[in-house]
Amino acid sequence: MHMKWRIIVSLICILAIGLVLPMKVFAHGAKIEYTVSMVIELVAAYDNGEPMAGAQFVVYAPDDPSTPWLTGVCDDEGRFSFTPDTSKPGIWDVKVRQAGHGDIVHIPIGEGAVAASGTGGYTTLQIGLMVACVVWGSVGTALYFSSRRRA
Amino acid sequence: MRKRMLVLAVTVLFVVSIMLAGCAGGGAVGTLQFHANGEDFVRQGFVSKDGWSINFDHVYITLADITAYQTDPPYDPHTGGNINGKVTVSLDKVYTVDLAEGGEDAPPILVDEVPDAPAGHYNTIFWRMVRATSGPAAGYSLVIIGTAEKDGQSVDFTINVEEECEYSCGEYVGDERKGILEESGTADLEMTFHFDHIFGDAETPPDDELNLGAPGFEPFADAAEGGKILNMAELHLGHVGEGHCHCECH
Repeated sequence: MHMKWRIIVSLICILAIGLVLPMKVFAHGAKIEYTVSMVIELVAAYDNGEPMAGAQFVVYAPDDPSTPWLTGVCDDEGRFSFTPDTSKPGIWDVKVRQAGHGDIVHIPIGEGAVAASGTGGYTTLQIGLMVACVVWGSVGTALYFSSRRRA
Repeated sequence: MRKRMLVLAVTVLFVVSIMLAGCAGGGAVGTLQFHANGEDFVRQGFVSKDGWSINFDHVYITLADITAYQTDPPYDPHTGGNINGKVTVSLDKVYTVDLAEGGEDAPPILVDEVPDAPAGHYNTIFWRMVRATSGPAAGYSLVIIGTAEKDGQSVDFTINVEEECEYSCGEYVGDERKGILEESGTADLEMTFHFDHIFGDAETPPDDELNLGAPGFEPFADAAEGGKILNMAELHLGHVGEGHCHCECH
């Protein structure tokens, strides 16, 4: 009887170890992975419609408007494309230049895209003071009505 | 009584703090400069579409209401319309600038600067070309003085333009981006004037849109009032580097 329980416990332990340890399984499985990416395609042309073949393009990301994120050359039809980094939502700027002619376009990318530049609004100190005023006003109002009730 | 005094003291402290914070102005600032540039066409001269070799002694242009904006979304000069800036920096004066000043290798002309401009990306600029009330260009918005030579013939010319124009321009297009002002830094914007749009350019194909639209120099060679030949609205004199402006003249 004692031996019988030993065997049962041993079998249970072996089974548990087998479940925990990774083991190679040979099978005819398949695995599919996919990613979704956005491609921006542009066509550059002069005012008369002639394509800007071989024009230089520069792409600027929203988080660093001074430094080129990508540079390249348009094809014979003035076309080029790029895949923006969608972890940087905002206005992507693309500049195209050739032979003294050029232009720049601004492409909003990402959810709730906002421009990376611009100032204005309140400082942290001003926001903190406004919050404190609201809190103080609420506390004061509460104290006022509570003192009236007691009276 | 003591409690009331404490409440009063804290309230007064809050009010004073708010007033001081409000007066502080808030936000980072830097120096924003405004330049005017006639490019090498003016500084070094060039050959017009009709073969005249032109050199400029003076090119007086009078500028007013020069204003830089931070716009979001960025202003589109192709469609025009009002400029809605989140941040605006203006020059209050009227400036008459000689674009030919300084010689062949001179840099763009510094018109003026604002030392406490809010930091950010100034991607839009506006200016008016107005008639000067005094100085060498009095009565005119643009005065071009120079010499043109062709086939042994030499013509000293003065072209006076009375037309006044407004230029609403998008972002500067050039080798580097302009107008990106960081805290305690300096950034600049440029008002660029393309005089090849008036005289054409012999180095550009004759059927290029530039030369097709430009009068050339020939009409000015004998004209007594050459300025009246020019339709400033169609010539698109004002640019921001290679970037475009929306132009209205009257």
